Amino acid sequence: MSILAINDLKVQFPTPEGLVKAVNSVDLELEEGERLGMIGETGSGKTVLGLAVVRLLSGAEVEGNIEYRGKKLLLLDEAEMRKLRGREISVIFQSPNSLNPVLKVGDQIAESIRLVGCSNRQDAKKKAVQAMEAVGMPDAELWADRYPHQFSGGMKERAMIALGLACDPRLIIADEPTKGLDANIKAQVVELIRDVTTDKSLLFITHDLSAAAQICDRIAVMYCGEIVEVGRTEEIFANPLHPYTEGLFRSLPIMGMKAIRGASPSLIDIPSGCRFHPRCDRPCENCAKAHPPLVEAESSPGHLMRCFQHDRG
Amino acid sequence: MKAEYLMRRAFYSFLAFMVSLTLTFVLLHLMPGDYLHSILPYLAEKNPDAARMFREQFGLNRSISEQYLLYVVNVVRGNWGYSFLYGLPVLAVIEEKLRWTLVILFPSTVLSILIGMAVGAYSGWRNGSKTDLSVLNFMIFVGAVPSYWWAMLLILIFGFHLNLFPLGGYASIEALDVGVRISDVLRHAALPVTALTISSVPGTYYLMRNSTLQTTGEEYVLTARSKGLREMEILRHHALKNAMLPMVTVIALELAQMIMGSVFVETIFSWPGLGLLTFEALRVRDLPLLQGIFLMDTLMVIFANIAADLSYPLIDPRVKVGENV
Ligand SMILES: Nc1ncnc2c1ncn2[C@@H]1O[C@H](COP(=O)(O)OP(=O)(O)OP(=O)(O)O)[C@@H](O)[C@H]1O
Ligand code: SF4
Ligand SMILES: [Mg+2]
Repeated sequence: MSILAINDLKVQFPTPEGLVKAVNSVDLELEEGERLGMIGETGSGKTVLGLAVVRLLSGAEVEGNIEYRGKKLLLLDEAEMRKLRGREISVIFQSPNSLNPVLKVGDQIAESIRLVGCSNRQDAKKKAVQAMEAVGMPDAELWADRYPHQFSGGMKERAMIALGLACDPRLIIADEPTKGLDANIKAQVVELIRDVTTDKSLLFITHDLSAAAQICDRIAVMYCGEIVEVGRTEEIFANPLHPYTEGLFRSLPIMGMKAIRGASPSLIDIPSGCRFHPRCDRPCENCAKAHPPLVEAESSPGHLMRCFQHDRG
Repeated sequence: MKAEYLMRRAFYSFLAFMVSLTLTFVLLHLMPGDYLHSILPYLAEKNPDAARMFREQFGLNRSISEQYLLYVVNVVRGNWGYSFLYGLPVLAVIEEKLRWTLVILFPSTVLSILIGMAVGAYSGWRNGSKTDLSVLNFMIFVGAVPSYWWAMLLILIFGFHLNLFPLGGYASIEALDVGVRISDVLRHAALPVTALTISSVPGTYYLMRNSTLQTTGEEYVLTARSKGLREMEILRHHALKNAMLPMVTVIALELAQMIMGSVFVETIFSWPGLGLLTFEALRVRDLPLLQGIFLMDTLMVIFANIAADLSYPLIDPRVKVGENV
């Protein structure tokens, strides 16, 4: 059974400059216990997609269908939705400013725990300390009484993970939890996320392809608010089919750091036809005119992609 | 670090005091005509000898720089001169009146901060909503009406028509027989406190609304929402404390405005505080007294600033005394 099913999801922001089409007809399914990586350049709509699931976008027009374990999230009222946040679906944000600077870290975690019905302040605090221990924080009892500014970047991210896990949710949405950490710490955090999510469903949003490879069963690639390729992690890495995915791999340091030419287009003025055609290495005539559908590659079942030349061999 | 910081803080406060001290001195000497003439008109014409003695006695015959030095030394020593009106040392007069002013200034400061902050926080959190806009418009109206107008309106409604509160003064006539009772004074203070509170709520309200508005876009607010907290819980537990941080310093500055407002309110209610004293001193041109009042107001604002500065680290864990912003 799928834990999350997104159908024809559209998210738009009306702005003075025009309508920002941040997510365009996204279909995506996440199986119970599955971990899905979501990669793509900055501004491709990853965060917006993640926040749309928990309905935390402000000023957005959201259309389509999001089903969480059979519940149509977009139809729930605010109180029902609130009950899902944190205890069923939690979000792990990228850390620097995501913790409240004037509250003790332990109290911020305890606050979540108290929401799920642990009314005793002391017990909640104890559980918060346990949650901090569970993410490998030494002297958790001590650190629970400290403020975010006393934490290092890596510690803060651990605290965010502890917060995200505090109420034992089924689905976790992690939005670039490793951003801005140095390599050493990043590796530890990636390992931690992998370990603590083994029995959970995860939507892992990241720029970090190797982190996605270490954690995720499947990978979805986003471009201009669309999914352009999705498939099993090994498949995507061994056999990327979409020119954009190839471009992403080529821009990795170990692959020669060749950036994709051009810049990602504004989501107000999205290119016609294939959205990637102005930047594509080998567009055909059709590419500028028609919009390619997301189809299964003949050569590898379960591997979907959105390109006219997908089976070129 | 801490000691060094306090030293620096004390130094700046002292500097501020000296500047206002100098300013009063310069302003008085910039006034057209002779100082003696402005306090005792025509004395020099009618009795030149007395005028000469007077000048010697009060050092008015010395050079400006000497007078300035004398003035500073005296003020620092606590000798603020004599009030013509009362025939008493200025400091003694002020001290007595200051107490009465504090009786209405303190509660109305506290009340206006509490009300302004609560309403401002709600308004800012719900910004753009119907409630916010109507409250905002209401506050703009309240703020546009001067304090003395509120004072007169209150007297008219609650004092005159409803006869619930006395029209003015600080105690009833029976106080002559039974002595001044606290309950009686409080009854007399009610309307002045209300008038002063009403006129200073809008200031705090605007600041708090703005400050709260700014927290709504913060990432920790998004985190709080993702935990499943209710909007009002997020406001109370997360946004409020952050929104209050910038308020601390501004409130100290607002005190200056409250002191201004108290001049009108006290005058209208005949409340025997510094405000009424200011009015009287102005009326009879009691210059030493005016000087003293001005210095006292400066001191109050300086102390409020110091208090704000010292309390800042108590509410913001990121700031320790001495590592101030
Ligand atoms: N509240 C908003 N109002 C208007 N436009 C928005 C809003 N939020 C996001 N957008 C726009 O939506 C697009 C997608 O943004 P999003 O944050 O999802 O990108 P992202 O893929 O997460 O990028 P990054 O990797 O930098 O985090 C961007 O063009 C962004 O400017
Ligand atoms: S559809 Fe055409 S332009 Fe788009 S990625 Fe494929 S080849 Fe390139
Ligand atoms: Mg993002």
